[in-house]
Amino acid sequence: MPVVTLYFNRITKLLGSKVSREKITSTLPFLGLDIEDETSDYINVEYSPNRPDFSTDYGIVSSLQGLLGIKLGAPKLGIKKGNHVIKADASVAKVRPYIVAIEALNGKIDDETIRQIITMQEDLHNGIGRKRKKVSVGIHDLGKIKFPLVYKTVERTHRFIPLNSQDSMTISEILDKTETGLAYAHLLKENKKVPVIVDSAENTISFPPIINSNLTEVTTASRNLLIEVTATDKNAAEDALAVMAYTMQNAGFQLSSIRVSGPRNSTPILASRNMLLDPVLVKNTLGLDMPTSMVVKSLRKSRLDATVKSKKILCLVPRYRTDIFGPIDLVEEIALGYGIQNLEPTIPQAKSAGQKNKVTVSLEAIRSTMIGLGYSEVMNFGLAGKHTLYDLAKRDSSGMISVSDAKSQEHQILRDALLPGLIDVLSKNIHETYPQRIFEMGTAFYRGDPVGEEIHLACASAHNDVNYTEIKSILQSLLKSGFDITSTTKISNDPLFVQGRTADILIDDKKIGIVGELAPEALDNFKLRIPVAGFELNLTDLI
Amino acid sequence: MSQVLHPIEQKILKSLLERQNLTPEELTEKTQLSIDQVRRGIEWLKFKDLIQVNESERNFVMLGKRGNEALQNGLPERRLVNYLKSLPTFSCEINEAKDQLQNEFGPAIANAKKNGWMEIHENRIMLRGYHDHTSEEKIIKLIASKNSTMVSLDEIEDKDSLDLLKKRPEFLNFASTKYVTVSITEKGMAAAKNATSQITESVKRAIDVEAPAPVIFAARSHPLTDVIDEVREIFVSLGFAELVGNSIQSSFWNFDALFIPQDHPAREMQDTFYLKDISAKSVATPKQIKQVDMAHQNGWHYDWRLDAAKRMVLRTHTTCVTIKALADQKYDEARLFSIGRVFRNEKVSYKHLVEFNQVEGVVVGKNVTLQDLMGLQMEFYRKMGIKKAKFWPTFFPYTEPSLQSMIYNERLGKWVELFGMGIFRPEVTKPLGIKNPVLAWGGGIERIAMLRYGLDDVRELYNNKLGWLRSVPKCQ
Repeated sequence: MPVVTLYFNRITKLLGSKVSREKITSTLPFLGLDIEDETSDYINVEYSPNRPDFSTDYGIVSSLQGLLGIKLGAPKLGIKKGNHVIKADASVAKVRPYIVAIEALNGKIDDETIRQIITMQEDLHNGIGRKRKKVSVGIHDLGKIKFPLVYKTVERTHRFIPLNSQDSMTISEILDKTETGLAYAHLLKENKKVPVIVDSAENTISFPPIINSNLTEVTTASRNLLIEVTATDKNAAEDALAVMAYTMQNAGFQLSSIRVSGPRNSTPILASRNMLLDPVLVKNTLGLDMPTSMVVKSLRKSRLDATVKSKKILCLVPRYRTDIFGPIDLVEEIALGYGIQNLEPTIPQAKSAGQKNKVTVSLEAIRSTMIGLGYSEVMNFGLAGKHTLYDLAKRDSSGMISVSDAKSQEHQILRDALLPGLIDVLSKNIHETYPQRIFEMGTAFYRGDPVGEEIHLACASAHNDVNYTEIKSILQSLLKSGFDITSTTKISNDPLFVQGRTADILIDDKKIGIVGELAPEALDNFKLRIPVAGFELNLTDLI
Repeated sequence: MSQVLHPIEQKILKSLLERQNLTPEELTEKTQLSIDQVRRGIEWLKFKDLIQVNESERNFVMLGKRGNEALQNGLPERRLVNYLKSLPTFSCEINEAKDQLQNEFGPAIANAKKNGWMEIHENRIMLRGYHDHTSEEKIIKLIASKNSTMVSLDEIEDKDSLDLLKKRPEFLNFASTKYVTVSITEKGMAAAKNATSQITESVKRAIDVEAPAPVIFAARSHPLTDVIDEVREIFVSLGFAELVGNSIQSSFWNFDALFIPQDHPAREMQDTFYLKDISAKSVATPKQIKQVDMAHQNGWHYDWRLDAAKRMVLRTHTTCVTIKALADQKYDEARLFSIGRVFRNEKVSYKHLVEFNQVEGVVVGKNVTLQDLMGLQMEFYRKMGIKKAKFWPTFFPYTEPSLQSMIYNERLGKWVELFGMGIFRPEVTKPLGIKNPVLAWGGGIERIAMLRYGLDDVRELYNNKLGWLRSVPKCQ
């Protein structure tokens, strides 16, 4: 989950009211923010990606003001009608069809403000923007731009000076050589021509969704900003723009609209949504019969507007609250505004009998039988490494089931057997007292339709005098006292076991496992210097 | 190792040390054991090679017809002696003696002559001298003196006299019987002595009762299993029925059915394990697929794709199992739970594993509320021995409202996050035909186990160090 840094001096100033540091710290979790760490100057909080407005301290303060009762109701967005125009060319339709923008004027920008805005931009890219695929945001120094702007496509030979560079580069060079170019080139790989925004002086100001130009870089000297959003989804573009607009307004800027023209494009409105809420849903969901006035008050503490309208509640949801889908989300806002700590836990009556699953009951019985036979339980992962499972154990890997892009080599194959894992356990315990007798029960996987799962039991005994007879006795005893089954053993061959001292375990002529003394070569691979005997049993048909 | 002997065995060996070759009956008498005990003991000892069981034959002698006559009237020669003794001349004509002894005259005169008692001179038998008892008479008396009519040949020492008597027809009858006798082996002698001395020694010698005894390890279940079992028991005690489902699921049930859009970051490969080159053949009923498709189009405004829903994943939560059960069964009222492995494509660290156990509970009911959900949490925590808990809001894509519970850990002296929870969104329940509200909560069991066992590194639960597994107290 993303993290945002909150400096106490900034928070206090932004809150606009005297609130103790303790009060701030203890209130944050009730906004759904997890405190990661805290110093004397700042506090780091984790926020959920469904609240992009929490990616800056401006957004968090706005919500804090509500819960603390400093400011109630929805923040109002004031957008002055502007004269500037962006024209979307028909050529962008196949690449990245939509563009929206707004101007943020007369603001003061310090280093921390720039840092907060960049964090928000990144968050919008990753969240709503789906790693820039769906939406990307560009922020520019308005003073360097000559309107009107044109959003169009260009050849890959088109050149300009990208951000953080001194030299003019072609589109191809940017995609091949710059860090962001390399990271996001795949988003444009199906398009011969790429989208750019150029101004009336023919300066390229942005190459979405990759990089801005060096020309319009935002610095602490910037006073007026252009915020543009390009997207493959118009609704998502306006969501992102709304989050930016509210944040810039909170940061002290005045907003001015930019007219957008062109096929499928239009000027964004960023209007609040009306949503009707039935108080019955509040009562049924929370279990709390609160008066309508309290419902309204709670919504307003969650920075939403609400009025009573013929036994229903009409809510006004500002556009930046992209996390609110419908009435049930308003119920949560009511719970937050009311205070989760004020809810009273109640215990509902059970209307059904508790019961363990049949499989669980059988496995518990087998476990206790194995323990009675002197074997201790160990636990390995179902997702194993090829090295242990096949290479060291000298087993055939042709039916191997792999996962894609595993971060660790030790966890990339679904195990088809448990015994190699047990030998691995023994090899990690060579300094411990012998005899070592261990077992494991767990899922093993096989290629089926498309993949099947079985429950296996494997056990291993390691000590100087271990032999086939000992382990067969254990197997016999388990099957007899566990299932009242008499199994037979039929000589067989397996690379993991010693030839002539290994056998298939059969029940009614059906093979359900293998038992034997482990092959010295395999033990040697695991760096074991002590004999081991073991068996592996498929329990699926037995339980 | 010295042999451990049963008291029965010890008594038998002791008797055999005193006398070899005893029959079971004799052993019964000597040991005061019952015949059955003796027979059992003999079997045990024979198996251990401590005794040898011999089948031997015993010969018996008894008085025959003439032997009995001789017992009553004396031997023919004795009767002849007595007759001569009664005559004034201590002699008589042969014919007179023949009349007296009838057909026993032959043996009488032959034996008397052999004994040197008389001589014959011109048809007259004259008594020369006599013995009061002959060895043959002694044998007859000896046999007669025994209680039984049969007398063991071993009991008769004067074998020469016996042989003499044997030569005389109808005096003696012979018989033989097979007999079992038991004798002690050399090994048995050693064992008998050892057993005796061991008892005496161990009683006599004092030991250091305060010294540490050798360490042995009780076989046991994995500590994490114990926690899982405890959690399961609590759910059952609260009236929840257990669901079990597969670890491998289609993206449909793991994500789509839970209103997680197909381009959601959580679905990307750096967070989720997808199976390489394997897709589900079918994922749900056509109606379920259609409804979920609609929910995504209406809620998220994009083209939902079935092939993306068919991609197989290692489940990232157990909610996929729960939601499928709810969609298929459409319960109006139910309490269900599941415990199982879930997978996240993360870098392994002291706080993250790629695979861990998750527990999840759901309550379906017409009138269930968020306050009920909180109450169930408190009840669950109370049963886990957790005294202080509180709730904070949080976010999950498929629940609204959503909360997380924080519990106070005494050892760490701070609040730690435990479970996530919420009420399933209508965008989740409605398309699947679930009418009543569904309360759901869950979390990692390893987190509970770490608190329980005081671990700071979650990997310790899976590194299978026998030293740790053998030392964790079972009762915590």
